[in-house]
Amino acid sequence: MTLELNYDRSLHEKEHMAGPFEITPEMIQAVNASLGEKGAAFGSDEGARGSGFSRMMAPPTLCSIFVREVQLPDVGIDFGKTQMHAGQRVQPVAPIYAGDQVTASSHLKEVYAKTGRSGTMVFIVWETTFRNQDGQVVAEVQESFARRE
Amino acid sequence: MPYFEDLELGDQVGPVETVATDESVASFCDIWKPPSPNRFTDIETARASGMSGTIVPGIMAMAMMAQLLTDWAGPDCIRDMDVVFRQPVPHNSPLTLEATITDLRQEDGQNLAECDILMLGSKGERHVGGRALVSLPSRE
Repeated sequence: MTLELNYDRSLHEKEHMAGPFEITPEMIQAVNASLGEKGAAFGSDEGARGSGFSRMMAPPTLCSIFVREVQLPDVGIDFGKTQMHAGQRVQPVAPIYAGDQVTASSHLKEVYAKTGRSGTMVFIVWETTFRNQDGQVVAEVQESFARRE
Repeated sequence: MPYFEDLELGDQVGPVETVATDESVASFCDIWKPPSPNRFTDIETARASGMSGTIVPGIMAMAMMAQLLTDWAGPDCIRDMDVVFRQPVPHNSPLTLEATITDLRQEDGQNLAECDILMLGSKGERHVGGRALVSLPSRE
């Protein structure tokens, strides 16, 4: 039997914007310190040039931290009481450099149900496109949240 | 850095051992700014969520796994990375990161290696798993 999901389907058509967010060298260094990241291209302009890039780069998943800044609405789904972060997808399209200003644009990508041994879960997937100050898409990020019966 | 022609299906990246400490998670959260208190840095909030202790944020776990790939194939090697958070990742506990090449192909002028990527706990439990698509240089 197919589970009929009731939620605000108009959210598929709405874009929710946030930013711009400045990618500062200090921010990249702080992320590096928390992760133990020692890649030369992420450490300094000089290190990046030594790796063939014009200036200090942000690690490839750094933009994910800004998804939280987008004010995403409640989808109004009438299923489950608790929600957990189930998965994450990052598709880097172009390097993000120190000094870039990125904006985020999010929309509801899909809502679907899956039934397994532990019962039925409903997945809510938001997709966020990040663009730099030139309007170039630099990354696509998908966050999936699961709700249990 | 590896060359595409030198790789074979089944080749492994890693394993690399790492730990997410209380301090490193707190530092990450200082930048990410989740609502506080939260289950990442506050033990009572974590217990109230049914966890035995504070946990590593999913996006931090993913960043640690991405590091395995960029250390191997360069800072802009990742084209796609898609992971599922299977079990909470604990603080202060040994974690193993590894990837296995499952496909090699040339597509749109790129040399691509598709990998299964895992974050394992000290008893081999799969905390985070998924796939990644990595672009590699050619010898030609």
